[in-house]
Amino acid sequence: MLVKVVLRNPRRELEVRGPKSVTALLADLELNPESVLVIAGDELVARDARLADDLTVEIRPVISGGAVDVDGAARP
Amino acid sequence: MKCTVCRGPAVIDVRRHNSAFCPDHFVKHCQDQVRKAIHEHHMIEPADRVLVAVSGGKDSLALWDLLAGLDVTADGLYLGLGIGDYSDESVQHARAYARAHDRALHEVDLGADLGFTIPGAAEATHRSPCGACGLSKRHLFNRFAVDRGYDVVATGHNLDDEAAVLLGNVLRWDVGYLGRQHPVLPASEGFARKVKPLVRLGEREMAAYCVMRGIDYQVEECPMAVGNRHLGYKEALNAIEDRSPGTKAAFVYGFLERGHHRFAEDVASERSDLAPCTSCGAPTPDGVCAFCKLRDRIERAPSDQGTS
Repeated sequence: MLVKVVLRNPRRELEVRGPKSVTALLADLELNPESVLVIAGDELVARDARLADDLTVEIRPVISGGAVDVDGAARP
Repeated sequence: MKCTVCRGPAVIDVRRHNSAFCPDHFVKHCQDQVRKAIHEHHMIEPADRVLVAVSGGKDSLALWDLLAGLDVTADGLYLGLGIGDYSDESVQHARAYARAHDRALHEVDLGADLGFTIPGAAEATHRSPCGACGLSKRHLFNRFAVDRGYDVVATGHNLDDEAAVLLGNVLRWDVGYLGRQHPVLPASEGFARKVKPLVRLGEREMAAYCVMRGIDYQVEECPMAVGNRHLGYKEALNAIEDRSPGTKAAFVYGFLERGHHRFAEDVASERSDLAPCTSCGAPTPDGVCAFCKLRDRIERAPSDQGTS
């Protein structure tokens, strides 16, 4: 049985063998835990949770930005 | 992982606070941090009319929601940037939130109201799209607030934004920008007060807040910002933060407490030297303001550029 993982920006899907901890999944994908959320359905999945087989999770990047600034701060 | 407050199951950790939270206490954590920022920096007074700069992304919608939770009534202003599907989707998120929460949302569309788009401006002026975007937002949010009698423009800049901007300004020792980098820019002739109530909350916390509150936001990154320097600074800081939690907060708060005042005097004297733009009336040190110069360059560009 496999855990389905949906990635964003760009959107793509992959499957990993479960059960697996969130921390281990992010390490396998070389993703910084500071830069993403892991979401199942409409709920957050904690960093120490174990992902069961048959679960679908979204790994959502949280970094955004460009020129959102006031008074000349963010520039490319 | 258990909630630091109630010992129930936690859904998110905040490592710089050495804490974890259940959904209810995480929302309270966010409210507490915004309340503290507003109080600490005297951002908003009870009688102030507040305008939130709404993009449809996580930060601005979370800010709008958090202010309401603190009984701060605020209207929103969405600026249509003309960035294809990205803008088309972003405005839908902004409208949906406003409709669902019975909030007033104003809209200004660059293409329809001013005759250019951000991609078109970048092409016509050969400047970066993020530069043209930042300049346009800065000018138009302030002008709207001043024209409509809002005392305060609140933006969704979070701790990660401030840390990345600070890193960029320090790497270039850009003393003018360092003097202006503060959670509050006070009001003056022609300027509404500008405040950043999310300065004590990280980007990951804002995304988590939206998920927990059921706020549907624009998840996709702006296609014009992909690969820009600001995002590179954020990635670098997150790599440090992962190994040493609290670094970003120490960097920003330390600057505000011990560094900002060293650069602020020059900025104060800059503001006292401003005069109305000869074209639009906005305060400027140069006769014609940067936004009007941008529009002029767009209008002078070949006719197939500017509105693409």
